[in-house]
Amino acid sequence: MKESWKRVIVLTSIVAISVVVLSSIYNITEPEIAKQKEIKFEEMLQSIFPLATDYSGKEGIYEIYSNNKRVGYALMANGTGYGGYIEILVGVNEDKTIKGIKILKQTETPGLGAKITEKWFTDQFSGKPIGDIRLKKDDGKIDAITGATISSSAAVDTVYEGYMEKIKMMEEK
Amino acid sequence: MIKDFTNGIVKMNPIFVLALGLCPALAISTSIDNAIGMGASVIFVLLFSNLMISLLRNVIPKEVRIPCFIVIIATFVTIVSLALQAYLPALNESLGIYVPLIVVNCIILGRAEAFASKNPVSRSVLDALGIGLGFTLSLIIISIIRELLGTGGISVFGYGVTLPFSPATFFIMPAGAFLVIGLLLGLFKRVGVIR
Amino acid sequence: MNELLALFIKYALVNNFILTMFLGLCPFFGVSKRLGDALSMGIAVTFVMLSASVITWLIAHFLLIPFNIQYMEIVVFILVIASFVQLIEMFIRKTSVSLYRALGIYLPLITTNCAILGIAEINFREGFSLLGSVASSLGAGVGFILALAIMSGMRERLEISAVPESFEGLPIAFITASLLSLSFIVFRGIGL
Repeated sequence: MKESWKRVIVLTSIVAISVVVLSSIYNITEPEIAKQKEIKFEEMLQSIFPLATDYSGKEGIYEIYSNNKRVGYALMANGTGYGGYIEILVGVNEDKTIKGIKILKQTETPGLGAKITEKWFTDQFSGKPIGDIRLKKDDGKIDAITGATISSSAAVDTVYEGYMEKIKMMEEK
Repeated sequence: MIKDFTNGIVKMNPIFVLALGLCPALAISTSIDNAIGMGASVIFVLLFSNLMISLLRNVIPKEVRIPCFIVIIATFVTIVSLALQAYLPALNESLGIYVPLIVVNCIILGRAEAFASKNPVSRSVLDALGIGLGFTLSLIIISIIRELLGTGGISVFGYGVTLPFSPATFFIMPAGAFLVIGLLLGLFKRVGVIR
Repeated sequence: MNELLALFIKYALVNNFILTMFLGLCPFFGVSKRLGDALSMGIAVTFVMLSASVITWLIAHFLLIPFNIQYMEIVVFILVIASFVQLIEMFIRKTSVSLYRALGIYLPLITTNCAILGIAEINFREGFSLLGSVASSLGAGVGFILALAIMSGMRERLEISAVPESFEGLPIAFITASLLSLSFIVFRGIGL
């Protein structure tokens, strides 16, 4: 009987100590972790809007300001590609054309579909109205990656659909 | 005593001899930086778990030892995970789910059960360092091969060289990992370094 | 519905746990050459994966998130998985001797199997719904069984082939796995 109690006490104590230790560590690291997430997001925004100084918004729709003047929006777009989820940050100018895109998450094939993150591919989106955001073979203006049509069209679809969805949400407000 | 340390590097090399901890070895060996990061994390967890378990070896009842070990190991893995998220987010992203998976890395529970729970602290610490180092070195060797052949160059902490030949992406792929380890295992056996 | 099917196929084929993500290798390389044993192991793993996914999802969404203790995730998940496997083993041992002999002996090995914690982690990190977690874990399990079954067949052949002595056993198994993994690349072509 005493043996059973010892087992329970030891195991429970160890768990209790674990909880205490981890919650302390968490309290110490949590502000830093939150900061890292914010830094990463700001870096993404900066890469699309180099002159941005501030932003506001939530739920995938952000307004971008440069010295207190709004210069555009950033929209979160989600889709599925060859290998999994694709997440793209779409920068939109005041005139609703695309300012630029940044691929945040993708798990396409390295060396092939993963090339959607390369500058030459993503640069194609800049300056175009949403109507042009289709692959050339679909009467649009975006060149697909040779040998990676599925990843390319996944990226294009993600941008297009994300844009449409978020713009609609903005207009409904 | 010193043998406790050196054993882990060659004679009881966790990856090539004991065939433990293969999951991260295959998954993380695509770049030397990642290998070093993973190795360091494993050494940290191994060291402190062995330490704690050795300290508590006369306190923990035999019947509940596995759950106790697991909680202790999981605590240190969580510490590593939080630290990476806060201070080395890029590495954290590269290592991905393989960070929490350190807790089920057979090496750590294996050493806890086989060594730390039965030996004094000083020996357990040396064992942990030796095994951890053996693991890290093996991981680095595999990474050098895969990174070199797969991307055409190698780089460590930003300093690298690119060699003038066309790389074979195959080596970065999972299939390449299997092949490299298979060949290395066969090679080491042939040369008599192991078994 | 389409999404669930996509998740199933993703973890069964495109991101096969063994051949692409390297999770669950110990049973993979230790698997016997008998197809029956391989299937038993695979089914045991699938069952644990599915149960573990559901349980950890419930814990994550009703305990960890509401109380803001997500950092306890690793400790809680692995404790839950270990306890669950222990319970199942005791249950099977008491209720069905034949089932125990078929599956039960693999269970202790499954606790520290990367695949179980792996799928729980994936579900948590990717934020799958409960149904999504079920789909992904079923897919992972089926993929696991598939790889295990093919491998056991190949090992049977390897046993009777002429392999250089230093490559016998683990080395040639790895090389075989390499080819198998390569063949699974073809699944990346599924338009999901």
